[in-house]
Amino acid sequence: MSKTKHIFAVLILSLLGITLLVSLSKLPNQFEYANSIYHHVVNNSITETGSLNFVTAILYDYRAYDSLGESTIIFGAVSGIVLLLSRKTLPVSSHGLSFIVKRTFGMLTPFIFLFGIYIITHGHLSPGGGFQGGVILGAISIIFSIVYGSEFDYKRYSPTTKTLLETSGALLFIGLGFMGILLGGNFLMNLNILNAEVGSLLSAGSIPFINIGIGFKIGAGLAIIFYSMIQKTFKEEVDL
Amino acid sequence: MNITLILLIIVPLVTAFLIPFVDVFSNKARKILVAFSTLLEFSIGIFVIISNYSSITNNSFFLKYYLGNWIPPIGITLSMDMLSLFFSTLISFSLLFIVIYSIGFIGHHEGKYYVLLFLIWAAMHGIVLTGDIFNLDVFLELMLITSAPLVAFKRDRNGTEAAIKYMFYGTIGGLFVFIGVVLVYFNLGTLNFADIAQNFNSLNIFSKKLISVFFLLGIFIKMGVFPFHFWLSKAHSACPSSISALLSGVIVKVYIYVFIRLFWNVFGYNILQQTGLNKIIFVVALISTVMGHIMALNENDVKRMLAYSTIANLGMIIAVLVINTKLALLAGLLHVLSHLLMKVSLFTTTGYILQFTPGHKLEDLKGVAYKNVLIFTGFTIVAGGMIGLPPMIGFASKWYILKAFIKSGYNWGSVITIGGSIFAFVYYIRYIISGFKKLSLGPPERFRLILSVFYRERVVTDIAFIFVIAVIVVGVFYKVALGPLEGAINVIQNPSLYIEGILGG
Repeated sequence: MSKTKHIFAVLILSLLGITLLVSLSKLPNQFEYANSIYHHVVNNSITETGSLNFVTAILYDYRAYDSLGESTIIFGAVSGIVLLLSRKTLPVSSHGLSFIVKRTFGMLTPFIFLFGIYIITHGHLSPGGGFQGGVILGAISIIFSIVYGSEFDYKRYSPTTKTLLETSGALLFIGLGFMGILLGGNFLMNLNILNAEVGSLLSAGSIPFINIGIGFKIGAGLAIIFYSMIQKTFKEEVDL
Repeated sequence: MNITLILLIIVPLVTAFLIPFVDVFSNKARKILVAFSTLLEFSIGIFVIISNYSSITNNSFFLKYYLGNWIPPIGITLSMDMLSLFFSTLISFSLLFIVIYSIGFIGHHEGKYYVLLFLIWAAMHGIVLTGDIFNLDVFLELMLITSAPLVAFKRDRNGTEAAIKYMFYGTIGGLFVFIGVVLVYFNLGTLNFADIAQNFNSLNIFSKKLISVFFLLGIFIKMGVFPFHFWLSKAHSACPSSISALLSGVIVKVYIYVFIRLFWNVFGYNILQQTGLNKIIFVVALISTVMGHIMALNENDVKRMLAYSTIANLGMIIAVLVINTKLALLAGLLHVLSHLLMKVSLFTTTGYILQFTPGHKLEDLKGVAYKNVLIFTGFTIVAGGMIGLPPMIGFASKWYILKAFIKSGYNWGSVITIGGSIFAFVYYIRYIISGFKKLSLGPPERFRLILSVFYRERVVTDIAFIFVIAVIVVGVFYKVALGPLEGAINVIQNPSLYIEGILGG
């Protein structure tokens, strides 16, 4: 690209940006709209869903179907990346990092796992949930590959296992949805399986179960993405 | 409450989740699963029509489903009226045959291919059935993310470049739609289509204009209308022909559904008229038609020529829709049906033909007709339909478009429609003449299978014939389709029907 082209692009972009800024600043502030569903959620979500966390109540109960769509987007992205990057050759293992790093992570990894599980299961009480906890679980597989070498990861946590975990997470979510139909309600109805006092771990109906399903799905999905991306790198290393 | 609505979305979704799981154990089980779910999904679509036949005929058809027992406007609502039914039927019909076509056409990486295909199917039904604006955005994103890897399915330089472009512009379009959704929630405090439609007129004109412009930009970038058309031809031609048929024939129509639903039922056509946006859309769409035809004429690659023709036809559909008379809407919807059938059959036939040629260029096609005369005759017949010759569906829809333009006084539109047909005649006849050219070298020596992807010839040719026959049969009996289309137009022109259907009773 030549210099004039650059200047032209910058000019157009800044013009568009200024137009956008001016038009957005001209918008009247109508957020306190009387019939807004915001009022309903803020006033009734604890009694209706049993979840202390408003965000979780919206994500996994009022709009659980959107979360199904969003986790499906990640599933689709995983499938696409595997489709484009998959190779028939088995990954060639690197030797991992030094002994000290290996020992340190040997001690740390169980706690990382525990933290991930904590974030997932306490989604209805504190910030977090299936998406966030799942990412932490997915990081364990990345630690395995980098610190201990990809062969270790392959043996402990093979692609087949990851696929099975991902599918079972997705099926748990959809299964909970269908339970709603079987129990006489609609798809993705809150089942009230856990109905202890609001604020305790065993509350909020089927929200914790949906969180677990999404957590497995996201964790395994991210691990699969990382796994299919490292294959090529290690092959090149050997070729050198 | 109607459980079939959620099943239409969940069946392909569960299939997509199950395919990698089943693939671990056996390939054969996966093939059975794919065939079974395809038929199941198709028969659910047929079941919806049969079980509601009486309400469809007297125009009172309306199904809805409250997800998670939340009544609107709190939760997400699914709904199906005549407009959704029309698009849902088109999607089910074409996807059924495209999946079977893929069984014969795709020979490697089948597992992931079908996962993505079923996810696209679920996303399309999700878009067509949803009654919630954020849910619409989620499924638009799902459709983009799952179709981009399929554009790069051949894994060559061309395909990867096309997929990156497709992904890039699709994401930018999605971003505009998302800002639009945020603005709608910011101004109205609701996400339900019917609730938005009820309260949209209470906004001041500036907010209405801003929201409409954001949604229009988003949809037009994703659809490939004139100023944003440059990515489309590459993306629609770099992939295997089954995916080209899906992108160019079906996915583009889903965006047209979103355009109709948002700007007639949710925001109301008045907003386009008040702000003068309808004139701008009309002009831009006609420019898109002209540009598409000119670039198709200028192109030497058969698949890219077909992709440019898609740009031209899309422009024509949008231009005729924004006229907003009853005849114009009928012409637009009829052309949606006709362009879907013709584009899918053109891509399925060329997909077969191109397996025997060294490349996609005009010179490579010399004499290819003699490899399989029937298939190439099918291509010729459907090309005739694209030009607008009588027995095919293309004639009927072009005739209605012409009538709509002339009756409402848009003479430029009719000139461009006729001129487009002449252009189309020139650019299709080149390929047909080239295909029928006699060669000194006998066909068997020249034409052999070049790609390894292609291994069940019968399936591919049969599906191509089914689409060619559909083009002719629907063209002869197109009057049967006019009844349901009038029901759909009734829905489009009366937003109050939609609001009552969801919020009332």
